[in-house]
Amino acid sequence: MKPQVNIAVVVDVIGALSDKSLLNGNLCMMDDGTFDSTGQGTPELCTVVAPGQVVQWSALAVDLQTPVEIKSITFLGPGDGEDAGARGEDSGDGDHLDLNVWTGVVPPFMAPGVPHKYRLELQMYEGEHSVLRIDSPALMRL
Amino acid sequence: MTQQLAIIVLVDVGNALASRTLDGNTYLFDNMKLHGSQNEGAGDLVTAVNGSYWSDGSQASEQVLNWLPYSLGSIPPTVPRGYQAARGREADRQALAELTALANRPAAISGEAEAALTRIQQSVGTRVRTTARTRALSGQQVLDVTGKVVADHSQGAHSYPTPIITDIFGEAVDEKVMYPAEYGSPDLVTDGWYWSATVDTSRPGTFSYTMRIQLHELLQRADEWTWEPVNLTCESKLCITMEPRRNGFTKAGMGYLPIVPGAFA
Repeated sequence: MKPQVNIAVVVDVIGALSDKSLLNGNLCMMDDGTFDSTGQGTPELCTVVAPGQVVQWSALAVDLQTPVEIKSITFLGPGDGEDAGARGEDSGDGDHLDLNVWTGVVPPFMAPGVPHKYRLELQMYEGEHSVLRIDSPALMRL
Repeated sequence: MTQQLAIIVLVDVGNALASRTLDGNTYLFDNMKLHGSQNEGAGDLVTAVNGSYWSDGSQASEQVLNWLPYSLGSIPPTVPRGYQAARGREADRQALAELTALANRPAAISGEAEAALTRIQQSVGTRVRTTARTRALSGQQVLDVTGKVVADHSQGAHSYPTPIITDIFGEAVDEKVMYPAEYGSPDLVTDGWYWSATVDTSRPGTFSYTMRIQLHELLQRADEWTWEPVNLTCESKLCITMEPRRNGFTKAGMGYLPIVPGAFA
């Protein structure tokens, strides 16, 4: 078992800001886990992990001169995208998001065999429409 | 910071050549205003370079800078590469057509023919002589900013070639904070070459650097027009700061992912 699973979030920033959406091919996700993750290359990536593994998310821009940072990662409850209460803390002004390292250990108490969806919020520069999100990716315990 | 930085060096070429200085004739912009760059659009830009380090003190990021020189009073750099040649050829073709029409005209009045020839001469323009130093610019007609061939160069209404950065040096380079180099580029907008640098973000402080920029002046030498290189320098600064990396979930060290126990049980 790999000690760490990396999840890459690749964003076409100009496409996403123009469409005001991370869909339409403006975002794709992939991981390097050894188990059978599904939805590689899509926003519906379901990464299969084992307790004790470290998961690390990183955002990459297709155009290297465009800004994109992860603003928050929030695990959702079993309802319809409702917030289960546990969430990554927002940073207020979008400043210094580049200092964040989005890593965490898969907890032993995570229920197995169920996709745990999470909300991924991305910040692209600043302003009213600079934050976009998707609720589709998930982690699933082996 | 994984985003690469672009620094635009916009030169008012006509005025810089007239006053033989880039001071007051250069406008610098970068894409780091959000991260604290100061004096955007002015001559004294201070580019913010925000570094970071790991909890053991080691460097966690480096910054890549790219410089792009643009010219005020030139044909925009975004037109296709063949634009200059295509416009010149078009002017030649038109002149040939007019010459043919003139030759085929029966028994033209002598004065009229002369006037027509002068007009054709105007539309052809004059070519710039080849010199070893400015080979890339030679042999082409001089155009104005709208792409029309200029016949009378003394009017100064012509488009200037894009300024070229020929060196980046000074304090930031001497102190080994920044490592600049010129690279070949598949991006033809930048003439196939561009200056880029990596910055050692583990050394906070403000460091100056100097760019040597080559402009070209259209001069008449022995009845021939040539593009003469004029080398000038302009200074800018980098302000390097450094902050610790932290965990996005906990804002401190790494812990369990924030998944509610039994949420799906």
